[in-house]
Amino acid sequence: MLLRYITRRMLIGVVQLFCLVIAVFFLIRLLPADPVSRLVGLNSSEEAYAQAAAQLGLDRPLFEQLGIYLGLYPEIAPGLLQGSLGVSWATGSTVGSEIATFLPVTLQLITLAFFLAFAVSIPVGMLGALNPGKAADKGVFVYSLFAGSQPEFWWGLLFVYVFYFQLGVAPAPLGQLSPMTFPPEPVTGFMLIDTLIAGEPAKFVEALHHLMMPVITLAFILSGPIIKMVRQNMVRALQSDFVLYANLVGLPRKRVARYALRAAMGPSMTLIGILYGFMLSGAVLVESVFSLGGIGQYAIRSVLAFDYPAIQGVVLVITAISLVVYLLLDLIHAAIDPRIAY
Amino acid sequence: MKKAEPLLKVRDLRVGYEVPGDLVVPVEGVSFDLNPHEVVGLVGDAGSGKSTTALALMGLARPPGKILGGTAMFDGRDLLSLPDDEIRAIRGRDIGIIVQNPRAALNPMLRVGRQIGYAYRAHNRVSEAEARKQAVEMLRLVGINDPERRVEAYAHELSGGMAQRALIAMALSSTPKLLIADEPTSGLDVTIQAQFLDEMWNTVQKTGSAMLLVTQELGVIANFCDRVLVLHQGRIVEDAPVRQFFSDPQHPYSQEVLRFYHERSDGFPEQVSGGAGFLRTEQLTKHFPLRNSDKVVQAVDKVTISVAKGEAVGLVGESGSGKTTVGRCLMRLEHPTAGAVVLDGQDITALNAAEMRKMRSRMQIVFQDPFDSVNPRWTVADILDEPLRVHEGGDKAKRRSRAIAALEQVNLDPSLMQAKPRDLGASTLQRINIARALICNPEFVVLDEPTSVLAPRARNSLIALLARLQKELGISYLFISHDLTTVRYLCQRVAVMYLGQIVEEGTVEQVFSAPQHPYSQALLSAHLMPDPTRRRVDHPVPAALDGEIPSPIDVPKGCYLASRCRHVTETCRANPQVLSELGDGRTVRCERVVKGEITPEDFADA
Repeated sequence: MLLRYITRRMLIGVVQLFCLVIAVFFLIRLLPADPVSRLVGLNSSEEAYAQAAAQLGLDRPLFEQLGIYLGLYPEIAPGLLQGSLGVSWATGSTVGSEIATFLPVTLQLITLAFFLAFAVSIPVGMLGALNPGKAADKGVFVYSLFAGSQPEFWWGLLFVYVFYFQLGVAPAPLGQLSPMTFPPEPVTGFMLIDTLIAGEPAKFVEALHHLMMPVITLAFILSGPIIKMVRQNMVRALQSDFVLYANLVGLPRKRVARYALRAAMGPSMTLIGILYGFMLSGAVLVESVFSLGGIGQYAIRSVLAFDYPAIQGVVLVITAISLVVYLLLDLIHAAIDPRIAY
Repeated sequence: MKKAEPLLKVRDLRVGYEVPGDLVVPVEGVSFDLNPHEVVGLVGDAGSGKSTTALALMGLARPPGKILGGTAMFDGRDLLSLPDDEIRAIRGRDIGIIVQNPRAALNPMLRVGRQIGYAYRAHNRVSEAEARKQAVEMLRLVGINDPERRVEAYAHELSGGMAQRALIAMALSSTPKLLIADEPTSGLDVTIQAQFLDEMWNTVQKTGSAMLLVTQELGVIANFCDRVLVLHQGRIVEDAPVRQFFSDPQHPYSQEVLRFYHERSDGFPEQVSGGAGFLRTEQLTKHFPLRNSDKVVQAVDKVTISVAKGEAVGLVGESGSGKTTVGRCLMRLEHPTAGAVVLDGQDITALNAAEMRKMRSRMQIVFQDPFDSVNPRWTVADILDEPLRVHEGGDKAKRRSRAIAALEQVNLDPSLMQAKPRDLGASTLQRINIARALICNPEFVVLDEPTSVLAPRARNSLIALLARLQKELGISYLFISHDLTTVRYLCQRVAVMYLGQIVEEGTVEQVFSAPQHPYSQALLSAHLMPDPTRRRVDHPVPAALDGEIPSPIDVPKGCYLASRCRHVTETCRANPQVLSELGDGRTVRCERVVKGEITPEDFADA
């Protein structure tokens, strides 16, 4: 049952991705841009221009280009069917390898930030819901209003100012490791994992230290909506008939609170999924402040360079990750709430 | 027993809540005693503070309510002033409670057995395995078949009756000395209600608990309670043994509640003559297709009914029997899958949109929920004006005077014209719905459970109003209801529906005094007559029905009642039953009745 559901969702996901690839492929080409002249310059000779166009494959008919991208003509160039996202026009290296270096940075950052945000938000949200109108609840309200109303780069700069410049507890916001440190061999692309694989615990600690500020900044922003949502769902759960009845049969306070928390978590999953998908590219401002080369920055760079294969690759990968995250959260939701049927 | 020290002594209980600048006190000064082993009924209108009182006895109030004062002495301690952990220990162990809407009261995310186990372990030092065993035992005790399987169920997998039993199992698992049952059967069908109350009563007798039974239904009081407390405007206004309460009520409110029952106990409504078949259906059938499936829900199956001019025909049956769908097909709110609806010789299913619109002024419907049937932003004047505008036009002043006349016709004051629905109570608003239905002088009105959301007193006066209007205006009614008492008072003839089919049809006198079909027998015997001299708990009831109504998707091949009928034979299971006319003009869908193998005699003893 479960396996069938997952398979079905995966298949639907593949169809969704396919449609997305087609849509993005054509939409990009609707842009009033000329990537070839961007590469060779506006004053280039006609031959140079034609040569560059041929090199990029832009001289071929549109549908043939699509076919190549999809991997229907492996003899010309490997495509999606062969597991290739193509070659970046800007750098000449494969899009797949470029994404593999940029994506882990972002995934590592936002996943840690989500866990931290969760760890903080659930108890705080619960506290607010269990003591409505009390000081803690009011504090939560002010905090979530405050955290959510300022742009994240502003918080990032403020934190850098306070913790690096004034207090000196945080490292300089200059990337994943200090510029003097030699990075470990990239195996997974995740700095924390790679340092461990390389057997260099000192670098692991350093990477963690460097991640501290961006993670805290992002978690600080994310906590606002998550606390609000946990509190709201919790308040609703506490007013529900089954919590009243749990009190009526004399269940201990702790057990009642757990009933309510579980009821509150289910609906929260949906928002988490949306936030996560959004953060994949939305974390770019925080990444920029802390000089972390993440997928968001890669996406912006690709767009500015009219690097079509890179743009397509980024959209495809981010969507695929979002779909997997949605599926995981749906599975968690179903595990929490038996009324959700596959 | 009377002289013994009371189990619970409530004095001057007050519960209220603050609204900006004011304090509303729905329960102001309730005092009563409860003796060990006694079953006491607490009656009162909706909003009289019954449920609030019941909750307050457990030291709780629904937010924003607060317990303002009073004492509730139980076992030498005041429940209202105990610290949190001590009152928690008493809840569930010494006082059990079951509430309305049982499915919402169960945690939707935990298996039922686990919840019962938690409740048991909160008060008893036992292992998880023992708690589970106790859960199974309790489910068995409250009459659930196959309890080993049911402990694994979630709340949404249980029917309302089953969920209510699970609550009872939880409430009684630690054998409390007192069980508070807050309208435990609201929302349940009559046959299930009777089954459930029987089982609850038996269980309470077995565990030796006392019971406070909160209800609006006089039938429940009469059949199950020893003593009655009447709650009116936040106070107990009457406290009497049940027989005395019914024979000689003291307080004006009690007298008003009971008047209707005293009036109607003799005789049946007079039969009307002439205009037979003014409205009739011919083999009316309605199927609803199921999504993602070839199957259909067979909501109405070849129903043929006929209503004479000026006649009221009752349509009764459990929920899911298709009564409401019949009513909606008559109005062409649903288009029937097959069959015809004929009003005054015209088949309305064949009319085009314009003709149908014209026809609608001759036929009207009143729905169950008065609040859902009106636009909440409109005034009463707008609501009453709409049908006149649509069907008759004419100048504004004239329409306005028609609207005022319509209000007066339903005994409402014309000053209500500017009121909005939210300012009005359910019973007033239902009168406005009736006024709206009648304003274009229709000849036929479908009344779809118009009284089911009303408190007994409001219900009585609404039924009296409907009876008066029928006499004065000569309208025909199709009265859809599961409340047999009102059907008996208002209708000349009655049709009993089961799973989309009519199983018996005859005059109210025929069907009510000697029901023939096993289902009608069960339905009538499950009906709780408000008569304390013939209590259900004193006489075992023979015609009870097992189980619940089957799904209308996979209907049985033979007789639809076969799975629940105690007269069932192999032929019944194999052969579809047909409606046959008996000698006295009524029709019955049961071959064993036609052959004379089932008699209503064993019912008459009940």
